[in-house]
Amino acid sequence: MEAVFISKLKPLLDAVAEQMALYVPKKSGEYYVYSKYDPSANKSVEFNNIRTCTTVKEFIFAVCELAAVYPEPTGPEDIKPFAVFGLKDCDLRSIEILDKVFTEEEFQDVLYVKRRENMFIISSDCFDPSESCFCNIFDGRPYAQSGFDLNVSQVRAGFIIEAGSDKGKDFIEKHSQLFTEADQSLLDERDKNRAQTQKQLEQNNAELKFDATIKEIMENGQDSAVFDVEAEECVECQACTRICPTCHCFYLYDTRQKDYFTKMKMWDSCMRVGYAEVAGGANPHKILGDRIKHRLMHKFVYFLDRYGIDMCVGCGRCIETCAGGIDQRTILKKLSEEFKSKGKTKSKVAK
Amino acid sequence: MSQNPYQPINGEIVDIIDESPTIKTFVVVPEEKFKFETGQFVELTLPGEGEAPFTPSSPPGQTEKMEITIMEAGRVTALLHQCKKGQKVGIRGPFGNGYPIDDFVGKEIYIVGGGVGLAPIRSLFLTLVDRIKDFKSVVCRFGARTPDDFIYKNTLFGSWQKIAGVNMKLTVDEANGQWKDNVGVVTTILAPDDVKIKNAVVVVCGPPIMMKFTTLKLLEFGFVAKDIYLSMEKNMSCGIGKCGHCMIGKYYVCKDGPVFTYKQIKQYPDIWD
Repeated sequence: MEAVFISKLKPLLDAVAEQMALYVPKKSGEYYVYSKYDPSANKSVEFNNIRTCTTVKEFIFAVCELAAVYPEPTGPEDIKPFAVFGLKDCDLRSIEILDKVFTEEEFQDVLYVKRRENMFIISSDCFDPSESCFCNIFDGRPYAQSGFDLNVSQVRAGFIIEAGSDKGKDFIEKHSQLFTEADQSLLDERDKNRAQTQKQLEQNNAELKFDATIKEIMENGQDSAVFDVEAEECVECQACTRICPTCHCFYLYDTRQKDYFTKMKMWDSCMRVGYAEVAGGANPHKILGDRIKHRLMHKFVYFLDRYGIDMCVGCGRCIETCAGGIDQRTILKKLSEEFKSKGKTKSKVAK
Repeated sequence: MSQNPYQPINGEIVDIIDESPTIKTFVVVPEEKFKFETGQFVELTLPGEGEAPFTPSSPPGQTEKMEITIMEAGRVTALLHQCKKGQKVGIRGPFGNGYPIDDFVGKEIYIVGGGVGLAPIRSLFLTLVDRIKDFKSVVCRFGARTPDDFIYKNTLFGSWQKIAGVNMKLTVDEANGQWKDNVGVVTTILAPDDVKIKNAVVVVCGPPIMMKFTTLKLLEFGFVAKDIYLSMEKNMSCGIGKCGHCMIGKYYVCKDGPVFTYKQIKQYPDIWD
């Protein structure tokens, strides 16, 4: 794909913002969060070297939204085109996972589909993976592989822009005056950066080797004590599920307005004690360790069985956010050791 | 599907029948034609209050009105129990997979039900008796806590017992003065020769504990897991396999069930909880 070059971000972002609302990462403490881009502000936008703290899920699967109005239905909310800048490969792959769920042909989530159709994705290369990042375990890369409209790679002299879709190509063509050609030396620099970050990721996770596929070690570990042991550290704050870019449980509830009623759809969490409880009181997941196990089984076994991909991108947000210091990687490693000690013959190193 | 899956169809409660001290049947007329298969479920909305999942107790062939039998168990069902005729409701669905009736043709159908579990079974039973010649026989074993707790008493103690091709036995956990039948949990009226196991399918619906012990008994009799159909009760909410509350292993009960064969779900440890 043809790459173009731009020396500063602002003209690119201004051009996007002229067409649609644009959301950009903004530093908040040591993390990045999204805020709406203001072209009139003189401050330059920071290039986020790492994924943001909050996830792309919030743009397409709202924290709380109107799912239906009754008895007189109204059409779905009007969604205008919008753009998100600074998404990393892990974010793009989380979109792919959410798409599997909410754009299934059989039951499409109307608002999700509309948001996805109207979303312009500007991804960017990752330079500074955190200690908690383990995307390489799930074939993730520190640079966008697919699922973007434009990708931005930072190099010393500026930024290389590539299109990943027709929408992106159109954008570059329409704004050709902003760009110059990206020559080979720039592309070489980009590739070197990418390889270096990839190496760093692999070094960070060098210890994270499994004796079978994650699915196999999870299935084998159903009776493991590790879930109850980890549960002792869990404070049931549900942060892991809220901050996870792939967790997508939700809760429907009804409200009474002056002359109509609504069905609202709000994020929920399978870590909540009453999550699976039925009105009669039965609750298959009343034990915290069982909920932790169910969450990981969903990610690495059930979702895989259903949709053919893991429901985890290895972004490590759940690890950083956990007040109890629970680390999914530790659980997986323990399960892998237990798998090994059970003397399974079928053994291979998970990618 | 371009329609909004969260949008309920409007309907009205046109009649309410007291079935037992804790169970009522609501006759609901939907504003639009509403088709379902026996064993599928709907989400019934009490406007502004919430919704809950129920399998209609009327047969699918009865299209102008739908009957939904509801036990007072939680917040929404308690509010529904306070409703009067004329109450507006919302209906979403139908959702999931019902009973594969066509696979039952030529077989003996062994139905084991308990308590409010007779609600989905009534829909199935009426569907079966409507074409009873298609089946070898319909053998019913129903239980309730006390004689008062049986639902559909008029037909259960009367006309249903006289249908040719139907064999029915009832039991209660605790008898009162008038009860002449068996006393004991439903497994006490199950016998290995109730049906010819090789050419029979079993349908079980009732409280989780009853389903568990019935299933164990049936396996002891020699039934195979693929011939035991269970109607699972989980926290179904969205109805379309997304929100996650009703998962049993990889299955969404709302989409892949609520009717499962025991073979499909037996590998999961928490199915009876």
